[in-house]
Amino acid sequence: MDTSQTLLVFFGGLVPMAAVAFALGRRKALLSDARGARMHSLPGQYGVYVATWMALPALAIGVVAACAVLIGVRVPSAPFVLSFALFGAAVGLAMALRRVEPTLRARNAIEKFVYWTLFAASLVSILTTFGIIISILFEALKFFNQVSVWDFVTGTNWSPVATFRPGQDAADSQFGSVPLFAGTFMITAIAMSVAIPVGLFAAIYMSEYASYRIRTFAKPLLEILAGIPTVVYGFFAAITVSPLVVDVAAFFGLNASYTNALAPGLVMGIMIIPFISSLSDDVINAIPNSLREGAYALGATKSETIKQIVLPAAFPGIMAASLLGVSRALGETMIVVMAAGLRPNLTWNPLEDMTTVTVRIVDALTGDQSFDSPETLAAFALGLVLFVVTLTLNLISIIVIRKFRQSYE
Amino acid sequence: MRTRDLTGDSTQVVRVPTMERPRVNQSTKMSVSDLAVWYGEKQALHGVSLDVYENEVTALIGPSGCGKSTFLRCLNRMNDLVPGVRIEGAVVFEDQNIYASEVDVVELRSHIGMVFQKPNPFPKSIYENIAYAPKILGQVRKRTDMDDLVERSLKRAGLWEEVKDRLDAPGLSLSGGQQQRLCIARAIAVSPSVLLMDEPCSALDPVATATVEQLIDELKENYTIVIVTHNLQQAARVAGYTAFFHLGNIVEFSDTDSLFTHPREKKTEDYITGRYG
Amino acid sequence: MSQGISLQPSRQLRRRYRAERRFKAYCVGALLLSIAFLVLFFSDMVRQGHSAFIQTEIQAEVTYNEDTVKFTNESVDESIAPLVSRAFFRSIPRRVDADPSLMGTTETLWLTATADVDQYRKKYSDRLEPEMQSTLERLESEGKVSYGFNKGLFTSGDSKIPSNAGLWSAFVGTFYVMLVVLAVSFPIGVATAIYLEEFAPDNRFTQGVEININNLAAVPSILFGLLGLAIFINFFGVPRSSALAGGLTLSLMTLPVIIISTRAALRAVPQNIRQGAQAVGASRWQAIRDHVLPLSLPGILTGTIIGVAQAMGETAPLLLIGMIAYIPDAPTSMTEAATVLPAQIFTWAGMPERAYVSLTAAGILVLLSLLITLNATAVILRNRFERRW
Repeated sequence: MDTSQTLLVFFGGLVPMAAVAFALGRRKALLSDARGARMHSLPGQYGVYVATWMALPALAIGVVAACAVLIGVRVPSAPFVLSFALFGAAVGLAMALRRVEPTLRARNAIEKFVYWTLFAASLVSILTTFGIIISILFEALKFFNQVSVWDFVTGTNWSPVATFRPGQDAADSQFGSVPLFAGTFMITAIAMSVAIPVGLFAAIYMSEYASYRIRTFAKPLLEILAGIPTVVYGFFAAITVSPLVVDVAAFFGLNASYTNALAPGLVMGIMIIPFISSLSDDVINAIPNSLREGAYALGATKSETIKQIVLPAAFPGIMAASLLGVSRALGETMIVVMAAGLRPNLTWNPLEDMTTVTVRIVDALTGDQSFDSPETLAAFALGLVLFVVTLTLNLISIIVIRKFRQSYE
Repeated sequence: MRTRDLTGDSTQVVRVPTMERPRVNQSTKMSVSDLAVWYGEKQALHGVSLDVYENEVTALIGPSGCGKSTFLRCLNRMNDLVPGVRIEGAVVFEDQNIYASEVDVVELRSHIGMVFQKPNPFPKSIYENIAYAPKILGQVRKRTDMDDLVERSLKRAGLWEEVKDRLDAPGLSLSGGQQQRLCIARAIAVSPSVLLMDEPCSALDPVATATVEQLIDELKENYTIVIVTHNLQQAARVAGYTAFFHLGNIVEFSDTDSLFTHPREKKTEDYITGRYG
Repeated sequence: MSQGISLQPSRQLRRRYRAERRFKAYCVGALLLSIAFLVLFFSDMVRQGHSAFIQTEIQAEVTYNEDTVKFTNESVDESIAPLVSRAFFRSIPRRVDADPSLMGTTETLWLTATADVDQYRKKYSDRLEPEMQSTLERLESEGKVSYGFNKGLFTSGDSKIPSNAGLWSAFVGTFYVMLVVLAVSFPIGVATAIYLEEFAPDNRFTQGVEININNLAAVPSILFGLLGLAIFINFFGVPRSSALAGGLTLSLMTLPVIIISTRAALRAVPQNIRQGAQAVGASRWQAIRDHVLPLSLPGILTGTIIGVAQAMGETAPLLLIGMIAYIPDAPTSMTEAATVLPAQIFTWAGMPERAYVSLTAAGILVLLSLLITLNATAVILRNRFERRW
């Protein structure tokens, strides 16, 4: 492959060249040191200084060229880029070497470089968020050019007509997202009605009642629960829990679909238990002991202390944990892809099949449809809503937790 | 075994400079005998005996780590909450050994209140802070009764005038001294018969300390108070009796006046004259 | 004033104790429920998956000659042939090529049975043609049928023939993807953490970066898939379904995990270590490089392993970048189409044949044991090397 060869030459050449530059810089520093000059920094630091200034221009030229190729801009041939980079390296090397003088603060210069490298790394996380927003936003806007926002938000009928060629008319498609969100919220509600009580009570037990020995035994078990991949939960929901729900429903004379909303909801709840319990555990442990002692000294029992003093004090934190749990349930994909239905269905009955936002996103983007078909674009519109909702929940809980931590530090 | 002797002659008339009232026929409210406490392997108290007299303030003094706080926390069994603690000996209160198996610790604590080193109001309103315990103990059911009790407790704690217009404000919004008086009001709202105070003024400024000390002086009319303090002047100001603890033992226990003016033990003298501590 | 105080529980207190016991029972119940679920889950997976680790094998005489190389079905007795997995017959020309001296000889081998026979013997299905049933009974009475360890599960790639399907290509794909994740997220994550913890001024920008990282840790994974699809594949032209595309996408998800745990590890190193180093003339960066980083390394590695384990179990974003393709042969480079363990599990879970259910559960057991091993390593690392200050 041409690009990989270029890369090989580029990096394979760069490392030995940097070593040479290091040696040159160090030698010059050693020589002037031998002549009796008082050098500001250690000889090796001058070496690193020269090597850095040699490598930086070459790297910069290489990266710019590589980006240009990837974006599809026509660039001069690889040998030209290579020699241009080499030229840059030579210029950098010569200038840096000339500057190696006793007064040059090589160490400070290196550390400045380190500082800016670290700073640049911290920008990657910001770029990631921008990347998510940009990648969703543009496609979502294209979708809203074709479908009105009002129809999308209030419509109760989601029936995209599959289009396989770009530009094909999709006038018959309907993109009312209400049933998808109804399904998402139904499954989330089921999940949270399992996860919040069980997770919270488990956290109370771990932090207030359990002995050290029980804690060291039970905590890793809950962590295992948290470490099970979602695809595994999905398989479990589809193969074991769904049939179980159908059987139990049949026992009570009820009719349940094999892709009912209850099974993925329950399994998702179990998945979120350790999440809620570990966050709540942290929050409850942050409540100072003096409050508990104050209540005991008044003649309160343990559960009265917990219910009336500890939990109200921990409420903001528990609330934040629950919101993060909700955000997780809304965005959970594998469990619903594997165990929930594909049919948009507006109903209150959790025994019926229902579909969710994430299921439709996966369905639209794993099919064979052309990338700008309305259904594909609709996936991005759904993604946009999902992003906005979870972002809001996350931000609220992050800020609440920060405030909570500050008030008990 | 000096403490035993003291119990014997406790009926004699004692003059306390801070109180110009002679005391006669002191009756014993709590009687501690041979109390020993271990935290894991480490022994914190070595068989301590002491009598606490009714309607008196008893101060416990001594250098850090001498066991005075441990002793105090044994009187309402707060030490039960410490993991790995072992307690031997007897604490007799109302003719019952509070460490006997049939004694209920929650019931006990509702009769022996406690005020802590750092003010620890609940993160609730001022009103709720006071009303909490009477409510759970089922002492007060009607809202108007509760209003009365809150007012009475706050008045006794000398806090009423400062907070009467903002009973719904959070307890944590008060100043440190006010918070501590709120904690005292909270403790006396359930009408305990003994009040334990663990360095109640150590987190307070001098002005707030003076207010709380004055309050302690007034409270002893109705309550038996045991107070741990680092501050020797404070012990001299508020306490009728003082016990000097050292390395998990009581070195000396007598009326405050004699302990400070004519200590019988060399260690006590060294401590109160500031040679160590 | 206080006459006749009883220290025994009053009636009211006894009622309160009942509430106390109820409350504690709820708490214990919640924990037991979680643990019961864990037990149920694992026993279900073992029940479903254990049989895929063994496979029915049939002993038969295999004849190699001009005809059987062309019509491979004829290499074994025609009554036995329908019971033997097609994968074996396909391998005959290869075997003869590899060892020409086999030509014209006959050898006795244990051959993998078809999925139908295997499922029938394991009593998962009772559907087997009567002739085959009788052949099987005859062979069993002759002692020519047995179970063998299913090596293929670990050594062969995906296959449309259940008895021949294995996890090998998923292992290789997972390895490549994790390599990318480590190479990208470890240096960037650690550098970000060092910047935020040691250098960043306490201003609005820094707070924004912190909140942003905490938010990224909670963004639904599927949205990272949308990012991978739109940015890496459509914009930068990284090949779809490739380990590189998957690795880059998962790197961005792993980044916040590594940053958060590295920051915690750096924060655990007491301030006086930094001050001590700086007091003897080290610069801030030298103090960090020579003292703080070595001391916090166990914590950083623990966080990295946990982050990688998390990425290893992630599926949703990979669906969107096409990593659910049918990959029978292990990829040989980062840019070839690849699959990973959880994606392979997802693919198998969607197959209609009954034999794939066991395979899926077996794949799950393999994945879980990998993840538990990784996480246990992380915990041991933390307990063994972490210093408590």
